[in-house]
Amino acid sequence: MSIVALSELLGASVRDASGTLRGRVREVAVAPQDHPTRVAYLIVGTPDGERILQAGDVLSCGATVRTDTDSRHWERTTPSDGVLLLKRDLLDQQIIDVHGRKVVRVNDVELDSTPINSHLLLNVRSVDVGARGAVRRLAKGLVPAFTLRALLEKIPRRVIPWHFVDLLETDPARRVKLKIAYEGLSKLHPADIADIVEDLPPAERESVFETIDEEVAAEALEELDPRVQVSIVESLDSDRAADIVEEMDPDAAADLLGDLDADRSGQILREMEPDERREVTQLLEFGEHTAAGRMTTEFIAVPETSVVDQAIDALKTFEGSREALATIYLTGDGNRLTGAVPLVTIAISSPTARLSELSEPYVACAPDTPQDEVAALFDKYNLITLAVVDEHGRLAGIITADDVITMLRHS
Amino acid sequence: MLFRKGWTTRIAMVFAVIGPGFITANVDNDAGGIATYSVAGAQFGYSLLWLMIPITVALVMIQEMSSRMGAVTGKGLSDLIREEFGFRATFLLMAALFATNFFNIVSEFAGVASSFELFGIPPYIVVPVAAFVVWGLVVHGTYNSIEKIFLSASAFYIAYVVSGVLAHPDWKAAALSTVTRPESIGFRNYSYLSMVIAMVGTTIAPWMQFYLQASVVEKGVTARQYNALRLDVIIGCLFAAIVAWFIVVACAATLHTTGVYDIKTGSQAAQALRPLAGEYAYLLFAAGLFNASLFAACILPISTAYAVCEGLGFESGLDKRFHEAPAFYWLYTLLIVFGAGVLLIPRFPLFRVMVLSQVANGILLPFVLIFVLLLINDRELMGKYTNSRWYNVVSWITVGVMIALTIGMVVAQIRGG
Repeated sequence: MSIVALSELLGASVRDASGTLRGRVREVAVAPQDHPTRVAYLIVGTPDGERILQAGDVLSCGATVRTDTDSRHWERTTPSDGVLLLKRDLLDQQIIDVHGRKVVRVNDVELDSTPINSHLLLNVRSVDVGARGAVRRLAKGLVPAFTLRALLEKIPRRVIPWHFVDLLETDPARRVKLKIAYEGLSKLHPADIADIVEDLPPAERESVFETIDEEVAAEALEELDPRVQVSIVESLDSDRAADIVEEMDPDAAADLLGDLDADRSGQILREMEPDERREVTQLLEFGEHTAAGRMTTEFIAVPETSVVDQAIDALKTFEGSREALATIYLTGDGNRLTGAVPLVTIAISSPTARLSELSEPYVACAPDTPQDEVAALFDKYNLITLAVVDEHGRLAGIITADDVITMLRHS
Repeated sequence: MLFRKGWTTRIAMVFAVIGPGFITANVDNDAGGIATYSVAGAQFGYSLLWLMIPITVALVMIQEMSSRMGAVTGKGLSDLIREEFGFRATFLLMAALFATNFFNIVSEFAGVASSFELFGIPPYIVVPVAAFVVWGLVVHGTYNSIEKIFLSASAFYIAYVVSGVLAHPDWKAAALSTVTRPESIGFRNYSYLSMVIAMVGTTIAPWMQFYLQASVVEKGVTARQYNALRLDVIIGCLFAAIVAWFIVVACAATLHTTGVYDIKTGSQAAQALRPLAGEYAYLLFAAGLFNASLFAACILPISTAYAVCEGLGFESGLDKRFHEAPAFYWLYTLLIVFGAGVLLIPRFPLFRVMVLSQVANGILLPFVLIFVLLLINDRELMGKYTNSRWYNVVSWITVGVMIALTIGMVVAQIRGG
């Protein structure tokens, strides 16, 4: 098995069964629907137009590509959306390095060539993003091949294995044909996804948010700069945007919709499920820079008469963000806030202990409290969560410490 | 009330987008630009003012294409060149851009130094301080905060308008020569022609295309805000042209009328103005030179580092740490340290280098403009935002004339030494 660089292969002379020079390699094609890495065919520029040389007919490759077929039997190329053309789609383009968690530009592509029964099997092995590929392409044709090879050996190899590469494609139909689903990207931490997305041009950003799982998309979207959030959501169709917004924390969703223009946020709200829509619209009615604008309505509240076991049941069925789990709130008659129990206390108490006995002094504020006062409360009382209560003492929502950090960083 | 709301929202929309085009056009009146306009006024009086209108039109067209490309593709110019024309072309272009911008940076720092020399402060104090300010400002700022500083710096160009007024020009003659057709006899005069070439060459520089497109992308302007973006370019170019016009007029009204023809730099112009136009005009002219040079010195190193790194695929960005983006920080630091440092070498051939920077700009410009025109007409890239046919005709003619003139300038500079 040996490694062939795409840039060596491009422009290589092609000799057929009779040993005569028939043309030069123009493109290398992979058909992801048949095999994710195998080279399906080479496109050869001949005096008689571009022809397809099936990869299975290649005997050897390097500066010269040899085949045992007759060039008269090579088919003409027809444009096809379903194949990945390594030169056009990969060389010099940006890709996502899933392992290194960043966007990089491809300098060269490495292919594995494995001899099987006197034929060659070519597979995409990795993309070169380092100096080796760069120097190879600069010096190609200017420096004798063997000198170049010796020189390249001295340059450290910097490659990304193919299974850590996520290709970027902005055309949705082509994404399906090429089986591009940003699978590697989706498995990263939402904050890493957000960092990568911020490095992408707008069309590529949009393609990521059109493709990845809604829940992942929602979490990644929350991590993005508000300005970028707006531009992404504006570029998505309102159906898809609503699916993502539904999965967001209601407070983050309300902030985002508040930043959009009224027409657009109206369209998205109409597409949303009634429950989520209600929560978000409530939040939207408050000023963005008040406690109510910053709070989430997804929190855990249990009747004050409950015991620890019941609180744990509530934890198990809770669907909101993990930050909101830090405190279990207790409510009395008419949903009035009567106490708060930290998660730690729940963890270390006996299952039958009464929550009202475990309750600690809690801090609460009114919905119209300005956000800088909210931050001051967190600072003064070293809070993890803060309850927001309405004029009747009812628990309307909670603010979590991560919201305060975001708020402080953006003000 | 409804009408007023619509009107104010529209203003707000323009302000949300304004910045990149306005800043780029103004940085264009840098140390080299001020020197050229001053010399033009001193040597030829009002007779070159007709050139301001065609120059402005060319500047608007070329800048408009760059900002449109940034808004539509969301990618920088060097990214697009890399993706469409491959690694080798990009590498050569980036090497040339780096060298050219290096010379430009030297001449900007020279402008800073010479403006302080007017007040008796020696270069070996000013240059290191200026280099440090430039380095710190960009490393510690975000795009938004820097843009605000740059926009305020642009306002300081009004200094030139005021010093133009203080020079008490013959308004009627100046206005007339701006709008009347030039006399063809001038073109047979070698020094007149080379002045025309120099004025055009200093106004449209290769770095602008890279900087403008990158800052449109960084600002996150999209194709939908395109109308406001175009307005930004037009307002910026008009403002820059008005400033340039006043520089020519100030020097024409004072230096030319009293027979002071032989100046070569902006600081010489300022000095020559002092006895003729008074202390205030002199101070404003010198302050304007300082502001313009420092402004350009801030923008050039960072935009060069970004363009080169993006084109060649190095990690870039001020949000990265040094070890994450070493190439980026090294390029940036080298440009500032050497760009400022060479000025401290005793008997450094400064004037030579300033001429060299103009020549290098001239050699690079045709390539950059051709790349811009090829890219902007790429339907796969630009969709419905490609140039219309008449726009293409006009822009190819403009680019053709620009190329012919800059080749002429390069030849003249090399011959003239």
